[in-house]
Amino acid sequence: MIQESALWDALSGVIDPEIGLNLVDLGLIYSLQVSAEDTVQIVMTVTTPGCPMVHSLTFGVETAVLAVPGVRGVEVEVVLDPPWSPSMIRPEARTSAGIL
Amino acid sequence: MLALRPGLLAAYHYNQEIIAITHLLVLGFLLSVISGALYQLVPVVLETRLHSERLARLHYGVHLISVAGMVVMFWRWDMKQVGHFGSGLAFGVGLLAWNLGRTLVQARRWNPVSFGVTSAIVWLVAVIGAGLALAAAKSTYELTGRTDVQPMLAVTLAGLEAVQTFLARFEPLAVMHAHAHLGLLGVFVLLTCAVAFRLVPMFLLGEIQSPRRAWAALGCLNAGTLAVFLTVLTQSPLKPAAGLLVLAGVTLYLGELRAIVRARRRLNLDWGIRMFLFSQALLLPTAALGLALSLPGQPLTEFIGRLETAYGFLAILGVVGLAILGMLYKIIPFLVWFASYNHAIGRFRTPALHDMYSHGLQAWGAGLWVAGLVTSLAAILLGSPAPARLGAFLLLLSLASFALNVARILRHFFRPRLQPLNAPQLTSTPRTP
Repeated sequence: MIQESALWDALSGVIDPEIGLNLVDLGLIYSLQVSAEDTVQIVMTVTTPGCPMVHSLTFGVETAVLAVPGVRGVEVEVVLDPPWSPSMIRPEARTSAGIL
Repeated sequence: MLALRPGLLAAYHYNQEIIAITHLLVLGFLLSVISGALYQLVPVVLETRLHSERLARLHYGVHLISVAGMVVMFWRWDMKQVGHFGSGLAFGVGLLAWNLGRTLVQARRWNPVSFGVTSAIVWLVAVIGAGLALAAAKSTYELTGRTDVQPMLAVTLAGLEAVQTFLARFEPLAVMHAHAHLGLLGVFVLLTCAVAFRLVPMFLLGEIQSPRRAWAALGCLNAGTLAVFLTVLTQSPLKPAAGLLVLAGVTLYLGELRAIVRARRRLNLDWGIRMFLFSQALLLPTAALGLALSLPGQPLTEFIGRLETAYGFLAILGVVGLAILGMLYKIIPFLVWFASYNHAIGRFRTPALHDMYSHGLQAWGAGLWVAGLVTSLAAILLGSPAPARLGAFLLLLSLASFALNVARILRHFFRPRLQPLNAPQLTSTPRTP
């Protein structure tokens, strides 16, 4: 049985190097679902369309999630709708990163 | 070179050493960085892929050899060889224009950024053409009139002599100034403005506040580039009108940039962004000085000559040089991070870009650059070599601090700092400079 909290913890280790916050705190992970076959489906976004880090971040997400015990596969979908905005950053992370 | 020969800055700028140094700086440093940045940025801006990396590599090799040869030949004032190496440079720029042109046609939608970048590439081709024409006009052709030359060579010679005859209609200093404006305004300033509309909102978590104002700024700057080139070339009394057009473009651009910065969501401005914004603010006094120098009826006195040199110095090292140094603090960490940590993300805790270099050193570098700029400008206006040497040393110190920071960044390339994922995150938030 895959613990969903373990997946979120794993994703918290992936940092957007430009902003210096992890993807969970940044609000880039829109949804996370575990299928009956223990495959994890993730819908995420990036901070700006055409973000040069998009491949690195999706690779980081796949790698981090695959390292969680029990995960057999991962599917990452990057969407731009709804567009990301700084209001999606967790309030406590927003304060520490100096973001309004 | 300026530190070794400070008298050059105190003299009038139309001499072979200053022309050689200017081309070393403009083509060797600024154009090299900008070409590399374009190959990186255009695909990002257009959300597509670069047409050919192989062509970009070929361009890099051709560019290095051509610029080195051109600078040496300018120093010797061998204009025929300048033309030969310049043809190599033109070939390289042709490769860049083809490569980026093929990339640009893939654009899904056009915006102020893609328009600005495209027009800057067009101006780049034009300025290289103008430079080659200048070299052709200043060369002598020993084979002229001989009957034993190959037909191809005879046609080429006839073409070069036609260019020479055409340019002989214009005053040589006006031709050189028109060429310089075409390059600085059409290529560097326009490109910086276009790129700022993409990168500043991206780094500050903001967005363009008025696309109409952004389009208008780039439109005015494009029209202004053409108008300045033609009126300077022909020594037209309409030069101030062209200058006003540029000033209008600069004012619109700075108005939009200010609005973007004010509406940003990221409060902290790092020193890279501060350097860039300060350099862009210098556009206003530079454009105003250019406008003042364009007013009719001014005799070319010693002081006016010094003002012209100060104008060029401020444009190259104040506006463009400082903007590029600021942006390099954003680009180099990204490229090194990508090479060193891309494979490790998700498996290890990777550093943030702002943790890869010293912020103190960066702040010192920015301060030294501004001090060097002010001191050099004072030296130029006073026509005095001693402060010119001091100014050059301050600029050198600034570059040394930049080099030290680049070395710190490159250390991550050779010895990546990887922490286990469960280790506490030491620095994750940007420090307030």
